[in-house]
Amino acid sequence: MLKILIPTMMLIPTTWLAPSKHIWPSALAHSLIIAIFSLLWLSSPGETGWWLLSNLMALDPLSTPLLVLTCWLLPLMILASQNHTSAEPVNRQRMYLMLLTSLQIFLIIAFSATEVLLFYVMFEATLIPTLILITRWGSQGERLNAGTYFLFYTLAASLPLLVALLILQKTTGSLSLLPLPYAAAFPLISVADKLWWAGCLLAFLVKMPLYGMHLWLPKAHVEAPIAGSMILAAVLLKLGGYGMMRMMVVLEPLTKELSYPFIILALWGVIMTGSVCLRQTDLKSLIAYSSVGHMGLVAGGILIQTPWGFTGALILMIAHGLTSSALLCLANTNYERTHTRTMMLARGMQMLLPLMTSWWFIATLANLALPPLPNLMGELMIITSLFNWSWMTIVLTGGGTLITAGYSLYMFLMTQRGPVPQHILALNPSHTREHLLLALHLLPLLLLILNPTLVWGWTA
Amino acid sequence: MADYKEAPLATRPRTLDPNDYFNLSPEKRRADEERAALRANLKRQYQTQLNNPHRQELIEDPALTRWVFARTNPYPHFRPTFKTSMFGFMFGVAPLFALYFIFKTDRDRKEAQIKAGTRDRRLCLSS
Repeated sequence: MLKILIPTMMLIPTTWLAPSKHIWPSALAHSLIIAIFSLLWLSSPGETGWWLLSNLMALDPLSTPLLVLTCWLLPLMILASQNHTSAEPVNRQRMYLMLLTSLQIFLIIAFSATEVLLFYVMFEATLIPTLILITRWGSQGERLNAGTYFLFYTLAASLPLLVALLILQKTTGSLSLLPLPYAAAFPLISVADKLWWAGCLLAFLVKMPLYGMHLWLPKAHVEAPIAGSMILAAVLLKLGGYGMMRMMVVLEPLTKELSYPFIILALWGVIMTGSVCLRQTDLKSLIAYSSVGHMGLVAGGILIQTPWGFTGALILMIAHGLTSSALLCLANTNYERTHTRTMMLARGMQMLLPLMTSWWFIATLANLALPPLPNLMGELMIITSLFNWSWMTIVLTGGGTLITAGYSLYMFLMTQRGPVPQHILALNPSHTREHLLLALHLLPLLLLILNPTLVWGWTA
Repeated sequence: MADYKEAPLATRPRTLDPNDYFNLSPEKRRADEERAALRANLKRQYQTQLNNPHRQELIEDPALTRWVFARTNPYPHFRPTFKTSMFGFMFGVAPLFALYFIFKTDRDRKEAQIKAGTRDRRLCLSS
């Protein structure tokens, strides 16, 4: 564990002490080496149980895929941010890299924490660097509003979580995740217990986000710089899913009755956000709403508490992280050339940048869950287990899949096909850096087709 | 051309309609010329930008900017009327209650069947 954490902490002196010509290559190389070493975590010694156990941190089949995703994403974020920060003074670039690195450290500790309170503190700690990224390096005036929404939605929802965790600590004596699945079930009968149940889950539901409390997500995604959007879409949303999967164990008898409103919100959210996507004019906003829809499926899969539901949720989280981040990088390549996110202003890109079209195509197909990509495998497992839960859900999930295909196709056809706008004179050709960035996003996704056992959690 | 007869239900374009062509009032002609002058000005502006050899960026269309802003910021101008409240109710509130009712009755029926022993519960791997 430390052999990944200490090099990540050492990335901070690397960014501050490297000469200005070498900041970006050295930060990129450093984080890429850390990412490659983190792949060793995937060779687990057993299917259940914890490994690399220490006092505070450990790995298990649930956290390992998310940790590898986090470590893999840091070099990609550094690669993506290189262009838009090149105009800034050197010390500001170093500050940017330090924020990304500190976010990475908090996320590594959060996903590997064995104590729920440590997870909570790191969960809150990730808000600060993200807030600074959005409000300082975003490009429009609305970024202040976006930062406020992001911070206060998540913070307000997680204060009940703190109270709930302290109550849990008092009744059980320990908040360690290792004995938690084997603890005796609590007699949860009073109204206060129901509020405790809601308090445990609310923070994660707002983070995921659940449909009714999702307003912060499109704002934060649209206004954040590319690295902020990537880390938000790919990892921070999954913190919510991961927290829910951990906390489900102690919430047991009440979940059968109390989870109905949230499952319904999640599934109805798939349909509603999909429909909203069909009429979006802003490209990044479309991708943000599609994230809400996919995470709604994940929330539904987790709340029904079946093995296939959990497995599908985990696979979909990993696949969606890679896909959403790839789509946001593609949107950023458009934005860097045309300085607008309006889809209508950047049509016909297939004529202008044909190689980028191939990446757009693969990312769009991944978003609409084409077999045999892991996106489909995750969605299929969730849809199947929801069908087993109640057969009527197939109407919502099936309609959601249809609408997802619709807006993914809409996004692809709008940006790639059609007439080239007449006012576009010259666009920079696609840089090798951009091709590398997208290859590094989509190659793991394609490789996961061959070995999905790496990311399917406890289902042996 | 003089003996051209259009189809019975068609209308002639305004510039070829003899009533319009010969009976134009001076105010109408002045207004038309003003509008044509404005259009020509906008076209000249656009073409100056289009053919500028030093231009590196996209030409900004202020109408498009206003349209995009209007599409993305409807909230300050929202007015709760009967129609909008009905929309909100039909798509945001009623489905939640309807779905709760549907799922709850379905699952309660399943639970009752399990308790009575009438449900076929052979081994199910895909749960």
